[in-house]
Amino acid sequence: MDKIININNVIKDYGQGDVIVHALRGITLSLECGEFTSMAGPSGSGKSTLLNIIGGLDKPTTGSVEVDGRDVVSMSMAQLSHLRRNRIGFIFQNYSLIPVLTAYENAEYILVLQGVSAKKRNERIMDILKEVGLDGMENRFPRELSGGQQQRVAIARAIAPEPALVLADEPTANVDSKTGGALMDLMRKLNEEKGITFLLSTHEKIVMERARRLFVLKDGLIEFDGSPKEGINIA
Amino acid sequence: MKMIAKLAWRSVWRNKRRTIITVVSIGFGLAAALFFITFADGQYQKMINDSVRMQAGHITLEHPEYRDAPAVDLFVNDSTDIRREIEKLPDVEKVKLLVTGQGVARSGSGAVGVGFLGVEPSLEIQTSPLAKKIIKGEFLDDEDKRHVVIGSVLAKRLKLDIGKKMVLSTNDVNGNLVEELCRIKGIFSTGSDETDGFFILVPIAFARGLMQLPEDASTQIGVILEKQEKMKQVQKQIWNMLGSRDIVVLTWQQVMPDLNAFIKVDGGSNLVFQGIILTLVLFTIFNTILMSVLERKREFAVLLALGTSPNLLQAQVMMESVFLGLIGVFIGTVVGGAITWYYSIHGLDFSEMMTENMTVSGMAFDPIIYTHLTPGVFIILGSIVFIATVLLSVFPMRRAANTPISDVLR
Repeated sequence: MDKIININNVIKDYGQGDVIVHALRGITLSLECGEFTSMAGPSGSGKSTLLNIIGGLDKPTTGSVEVDGRDVVSMSMAQLSHLRRNRIGFIFQNYSLIPVLTAYENAEYILVLQGVSAKKRNERIMDILKEVGLDGMENRFPRELSGGQQQRVAIARAIAPEPALVLADEPTANVDSKTGGALMDLMRKLNEEKGITFLLSTHEKIVMERARRLFVLKDGLIEFDGSPKEGINIA
Repeated sequence: MKMIAKLAWRSVWRNKRRTIITVVSIGFGLAAALFFITFADGQYQKMINDSVRMQAGHITLEHPEYRDAPAVDLFVNDSTDIRREIEKLPDVEKVKLLVTGQGVARSGSGAVGVGFLGVEPSLEIQTSPLAKKIIKGEFLDDEDKRHVVIGSVLAKRLKLDIGKKMVLSTNDVNGNLVEELCRIKGIFSTGSDETDGFFILVPIAFARGLMQLPEDASTQIGVILEKQEKMKQVQKQIWNMLGSRDIVVLTWQQVMPDLNAFIKVDGGSNLVFQGIILTLVLFTIFNTILMSVLERKREFAVLLALGTSPNLLQAQVMMESVFLGLIGVFIGTVVGGAITWYYSIHGLDFSEMMTENMTVSGMAFDPIIYTHLTPGVFIILGSIVFIATVLLSVFPMRRAANTPISDVLR
């Protein structure tokens, strides 16, 4: 299978002079297309930093990062915007929906930027909203939705542009465990049906259990990489 | 762009109270600036209009040396023919002939130095504000021979009244001292001591006779225009028409430099005042736009993370400013326009505040000031406020586009 993510010896340091924080100390990692992987580790272990670097939201201090066969480290702002718009979907911990747009419009936003026709947009979004369980709620604004429903809109927004990779930063952190489990089942289903690669950062068991692969970060290094059953206790 | 416009429009109304305060600030600033500018303009227009109609028109034709050293022998010949030619020009309302001079007015109570204006009564009644300021007796008519109209201050000084006699002495073209007895027909009061104590209006034929001027001579030919804006154009046409004749064609600014200087200085200080108001308003707008951007840092970071290009994000912030500017300018134009329109009809009465008469160039300030409405002022001011509002968004726009995505999302 093709590699969707290929990271080689990535180091990320924050700060200057005497106060330097070593967030990542040399990460080497690759993900095949269609994987459903979770990344666990305590707070400050470098999970979000690694996700940001993979998503082109941050640059590593040293090392190489390839996403979908492209070197994201050397990309310009415009190239990174293009890559994120067309190949990467993001799901954030606290939903991060645009409050002035409805559920439908939130999901539609990237499709508009992609230049998808109105008819196709409508078909695709209505299908996805149905798929994520938000049928009939398309005209609601985020404030009119529960936390779980908002995260479903965020998932719909992430997958609507048909990305190759979805990066989810603690997607179940702000919902109860039942809702979290349902969200994970939904993402797993989308992964299986659509072949979208998912990389989720978490420190929750419900996420780790449902992943097919788990790697654990500790102090900026990969401590474990393997089956969730084996690694869940380490995490 | 439709999506960006939708986002911008809804973002503008996200904080309704702040948006309302902002657009009302823009509207208030614009309305105030419109009112004060049209108010000052109305005042200037009135002063110019009264001055040019009382004196020698928007455009004055006279002997080339007259302005430097006004003398009786520096007159314009064939003035009736010249007038006839000028009257054919478009944009010319009236052409008046004047014979002006200086002399001494004497009565049994004393003597006072005066300036006299030899006028054509029937024309002067139509054009000059002095003819409308008669407080006693009547204005001159074309049949009058030795009748004069004097100002109220002069009448008081010389203890003159309607029907009383006075002697007007001056020099004729040959340098001889001449004098004529004349009778008071009317007394005017403009509110300006300078004018009311100095000017005497006499029939032009009387003035020519007194000064021994040829029958068709005038010291000035005054051209009153329908629209002052056409002045330069008409001046040029008159210059071309006169050819090599020994006559100069002057604008009112050259004839009344003190009035021109007053308007420039007063107008300048008004502009500074308007500038201060607008700066304060623009600062408020800048603050609003910047605050609105700073408090949405996370939202901008999300939009950038999703793949929105920085340029599109800048377009969104600029569009928000465009909406604020358009609404503010609309409010300002409607409110400012309504106020200005009202006072252009009813005037603003300052009689109780103006305890003493204020005069410029011999013209008293009219205590009732009418605003002067011109579409140009609305278009220019509205455009300035709108463009300034949009330009103010440049810095917040850049801040939004340069949002450090990973730092904000962390």
